[in-house]
Amino acid sequence: MLSESARMTTAAEAKFRINAPNSKPRAIKVIALDKRSEEVVKRLAREPWNKASFFASVHFDSPPQEGADWSMKTWLNDLAGRTSKLIDEISTADLVVMVVAAGSKAEAASVIGEACMLKRVMTTALILDRASASDTALSDTLLHLRPYASMLVVADDEDYIKSMLVALRA
Amino acid sequence: MLRKEQNDLVTQTGPGTPMGQLFRSYWIPALLSEQLPENDCPPVRVKLLSERLVAFRDSQGRYGLIDEFCPHRGASLWFGRNEESGLRCPYHGWKFDVTGQCVEVPSEPVESHFCDKIKLKSYPLVKRGPVLWTYMGPPEKQPPLPEWEFAMVPSDQVFVSKRLQECNWLQAMEGGIDSSHVSFLHRGDLNSDPLFKGAKGNKYNLGDLSPVFEVVESEGGLYIGARRNAENGNYYWRITPWVMPSFTMVPPRGDHPVHGHFWIPIDDENCWAYTYDYHATRPLTAEEREAMRAGKGVHSRNIPGTFRPAANKDNDYLMDRAAQKAGRTFSGVEGIAIQDASLQESMGPIVDRTKENLVSTDNGIIMARHRLMRAAKALVEKGVTPPGVDTAHQRVRSASVVLPADQPFKDAVKEALAVRPGMAHASV
Repeated sequence: MLSESARMTTAAEAKFRINAPNSKPRAIKVIALDKRSEEVVKRLAREPWNKASFFASVHFDSPPQEGADWSMKTWLNDLAGRTSKLIDEISTADLVVMVVAAGSKAEAASVIGEACMLKRVMTTALILDRASASDTALSDTLLHLRPYASMLVVADDEDYIKSMLVALRA
Repeated sequence: MLRKEQNDLVTQTGPGTPMGQLFRSYWIPALLSEQLPENDCPPVRVKLLSERLVAFRDSQGRYGLIDEFCPHRGASLWFGRNEESGLRCPYHGWKFDVTGQCVEVPSEPVESHFCDKIKLKSYPLVKRGPVLWTYMGPPEKQPPLPEWEFAMVPSDQVFVSKRLQECNWLQAMEGGIDSSHVSFLHRGDLNSDPLFKGAKGNKYNLGDLSPVFEVVESEGGLYIGARRNAENGNYYWRITPWVMPSFTMVPPRGDHPVHGHFWIPIDDENCWAYTYDYHATRPLTAEEREAMRAGKGVHSRNIPGTFRPAANKDNDYLMDRAAQKAGRTFSGVEGIAIQDASLQESMGPIVDRTKENLVSTDNGIIMARHRLMRAAKALVEKGVTPPGVDTAHQRVRSASVVLPADQPFKDAVKEALAVRPGMAHASV
């Protein structure tokens, strides 16, 4: 007689896997941190998504400083030009994806990262255009991103962002 | 998550499929050289990329990989007599050389040259290191022979094993680039396995249980860096290369040999896991070899005379719930290889990726799928040679290093991530 594992790993048994949704849509907030990544994010936003939302820019009431409570005073602009408070958007996010071009200082990463830590939201940072940045410039970007990104990806082509968002059911 | 058509694209490797065509761009492991140990030894059945073949070594030491079935009436040449520079079907005596060319049809007059008209499909089969490699693509596009470091070092510095895994190749390979499962599934083995313990770098694993991952594309595939806190604000990095289509190398620990895998499709529901262990600068010790043969490290203990693991689905992987409860193993299954294989086989012969819920730490897997699909489409639609064919992409190493916090690991240790003959792996 076959063991239970032997029976249950057959193709025939695989057909009995429950055919019902096993998750709810995730609220993934994609934020561009510089002009270059804004172009990419705008293109992505035109595709159909489940519950992803896209933000073209971040602005502050005054220049951000690390250590201060700047996440409370930071605003996001979506692609329709509407403004919302960063902390409010983070509060309703399941994942925050920061998109940044290699070489960018990504100053907003610290503010977004602090808000995510406060609200216990995972962050992923995607760095584009690696080939066009020097090692020093990339190091600068990494220095600003690493403390605030739970996951960091350096992608050679911007198509990867769409693949990632689809894979995450955004 | 993948859509069904994407899942079909990445999992199906039979003749005429895009991913099958991708695999046929490379030299891939076909057998261990020990399976054809001497001239005129018995032939061996080989199934690769859903094709039935038979391998043999002729009287002059030449290797052949040919269609398994005699073109006369379809008898298996596994029963063949390997003699006088050819494989002779025992049914009616038809004989074939290592290229599949029929050289004798006893029932026909020699002057008829009937045998000239008969030729079995065949693929080149060459020995590099302890592995016999084959290339199953168009002859005019045959790439240079493989140059993976483990296959190039002296024989006393390398050990290779092989095991059957009873599931699709991709769900097996994805385990190799999924760094986040190690802290759970293999938790018990780090301090007890003789091929891992004692390395200075282990203290970083134990001191920081929440590694952060970075995925960086490379020419041949990608690197996954797992970073943990080290002293003085530095990071301890463990860097795993993945080279297309299915090569990985685990980062080193101390002066232990370095290991990794290839996952090679047998058909769409089974694959081979070839596991290598080697040291770049010294012979393996007798104790290390003994441990590898005994299934320690990332090797498996197989049923004698076979490549099927002794712990397999037919015996519920020798599940030990008491060991699981006591914390000796996390899943109740013993041994790193079978801890992985049991869970990967449990997904079903071909896992349904439409039902997945990936998280951001799965970016290594997401990137690998992205690159595989892109490469397969570019090959099929435009004839673009995929990454990993170039031998420069194969001369790659893993590394474990301590770096300052702002350094991009791929560039900071660029030299250490490439083969440096005569120099050891970068290791902590």
